[in-house]
Amino acid sequence: MSQIKTLLVFIIFSAPLMGEVIGEFSFDNRYFFNEGAQGQKQNHSSFSISPEIFFEEDKRIFHFKPKLRKDNEDPERNLVDVQELYLLEILEDREIKYGISKEFWGVTETSHRVDIINQTDSSESFDGEDKLGQPMVKISFERDWGLLDIYALIGFRERTFVGQNGRLRLPIVTDTDNPSYASSAKTARIDFAMRWANYFDNFEIAVSHFSGTSREPRFLPSPKKLNQIAPHYEVIDQSSIEMQYFLGSLALKGEIISRSGQGDRFSAATYGFEYTQVGILDSRLDLGWVVEANHDDRLKSSPAVLGTRLIMNDISDTQILSGFIYDERSEEIGFLLEATRRLGDCCLVSVEGMYFDDINEDNNEKKLFSPFKEDDFLRMEFIYYFGD
Amino acid sequence: MSRLHFFLYKRSIFLFFYVVLFALSGEISANKGLEIAELSDKNNEGYIDSSSSMVMQLINKKGDIVERKLSFKRLEVPEDGDKSIAIFESPRDVKGVAILSYAHKVDSDDQWLYLPALKRVKRIASKNKSGPFLGSEFSFEDFSFQEVEKYEYKFIGEEACLNLTCYLIERRPLDPYSGYTKQLVWIDKDNYLVQKIHHYDRKSFHLKTQTFEEYKLYEGFFWQPHKVMMMNHQNGKSSVLKFQDVKLNNGFTDKDFSQNSLRRSR
Repeated sequence: MSQIKTLLVFIIFSAPLMGEVIGEFSFDNRYFFNEGAQGQKQNHSSFSISPEIFFEEDKRIFHFKPKLRKDNEDPERNLVDVQELYLLEILEDREIKYGISKEFWGVTETSHRVDIINQTDSSESFDGEDKLGQPMVKISFERDWGLLDIYALIGFRERTFVGQNGRLRLPIVTDTDNPSYASSAKTARIDFAMRWANYFDNFEIAVSHFSGTSREPRFLPSPKKLNQIAPHYEVIDQSSIEMQYFLGSLALKGEIISRSGQGDRFSAATYGFEYTQVGILDSRLDLGWVVEANHDDRLKSSPAVLGTRLIMNDISDTQILSGFIYDERSEEIGFLLEATRRLGDCCLVSVEGMYFDDINEDNNEKKLFSPFKEDDFLRMEFIYYFGD
Repeated sequence: MSRLHFFLYKRSIFLFFYVVLFALSGEISANKGLEIAELSDKNNEGYIDSSSSMVMQLINKKGDIVERKLSFKRLEVPEDGDKSIAIFESPRDVKGVAILSYAHKVDSDDQWLYLPALKRVKRIASKNKSGPFLGSEFSFEDFSFQEVEKYEYKFIGEEACLNLTCYLIERRPLDPYSGYTKQLVWIDKDNYLVQKIHHYDRKSFHLKTQTFEEYKLYEGFFWQPHKVMMMNHQNGKSSVLKFQDVKLNNGFTDKDFSQNSLRRSR
């Protein structure tokens, strides 16, 4: 907590010097319908605070955005992270970013295979959408031939994992205190990445390569803690392609990776389409559809996801998101429903439900969701935006 | 000759040309609707680039007002549609969200959305343009540039509009994805400025009325309305768009309107 205090003091005192300070405070409560498979509690709450300073002058941008999270049940979910702390210089023929930042790569909606610059904050949410800040120097060139980003990634961030008392976890606890690395430099290794992107009318393409410590670990028995597993971070080379093609209201999307360095070389892909119906049934409502399939050489099964997004187009920007995941091989389903709406100009509220089911228990294939069979939950999040 | 003077010069030649043409063609011309639309469009030509901030008021039936703020940048692209970036300032949950649009004269526009929370630039299928913009009574379509080539025109007549005399023309969108079947457009005879539009929905129902007020002249040739109102007759709601701090010649280049520039917005 002393780190938190130091950060807060720093923010408060530096704020008036830096320009506008804004930020968000969020309170999050998850209620699980059953006690956890390992006896975890049914009610989990956490709060997070994320102030932000954004300062822009002619050809320079400074951005600072720390994030603090405190969980009442699971200390592994406590977080102090600098999401952004960079200086961006915009020069005549190139752009240079120095510092900590987040960079997104990819086109698909339900899974992000290609996205590799930042480490995943998997204790925040099991969907893998939340990321940790990554120190870097990035140079971007934008020309007729497209956009080229070249990264030197300075240092490595360990993945976060839900702890012993946390939920939506594997039966075996992850020992985050004893990670191991293939590289002798451990977390001090400098990794390299580059991405080229361009578009031709309705077709968009990006090709990228990453060479460095894998963000996704494999697991070994913990060297120090009995009956725990510890992440092992290998050095990988990963090449990827992202593509999307637009045909009227239909977007066809796909991303594919090929990775070496973690045993045999393997490939993985996510592909599908997104379609939006504007003004359904002569109303103001829009309905978006996402259908995506997932393939991974390491897994036998290829779960498919159907997502819908109902947009009310009202003053409160009400949206209802649903996600239905089905694994043909193990005959399991997962269902997610999330509704969000704005409250006044200050706040946002969201309610989310998650349900897992095993349709055919006699099916002896490897079950994907069986660790989560007690983890159906209802979650409420309230976000307050402060500053102007 | 500076670029600006060149455009002014070009404009006056066009005006002369049309005046002669009008005089020769007499009262009724099959193309008169198109000619008026082209003259009106000249008011948007030669500005090179512009920046402004916008306040959008959403007004419900009871008269309650909610405000949204945006900043807006535009770059003229000769021989094609314009490029623009709209960055949301408020409400807070969408602060930093930005939309980049490349309008095209005939083809449908290209649009990208930047989501700062995810650091993601996402291309949007721009056919989806009949939907409401930011929960307002304006649709994406009302917001995009109304290139002359995107419609078919018919001249209807002359009519009084407020204290002006207007040409009344009917235009039909050629884009099958347009939310409208037809629009009646009132353009004043003095300066060829659009004063009012009646929008007819897909069932040919008079759905919305748009009015343009507080026109100001910039640099001696560029007319900018400072208040645009959209009244929805079906739900009784209306939206008002107010432009502030309009500035021309900011020295923008294509680089300020690239996918990469979107990522800088926050």
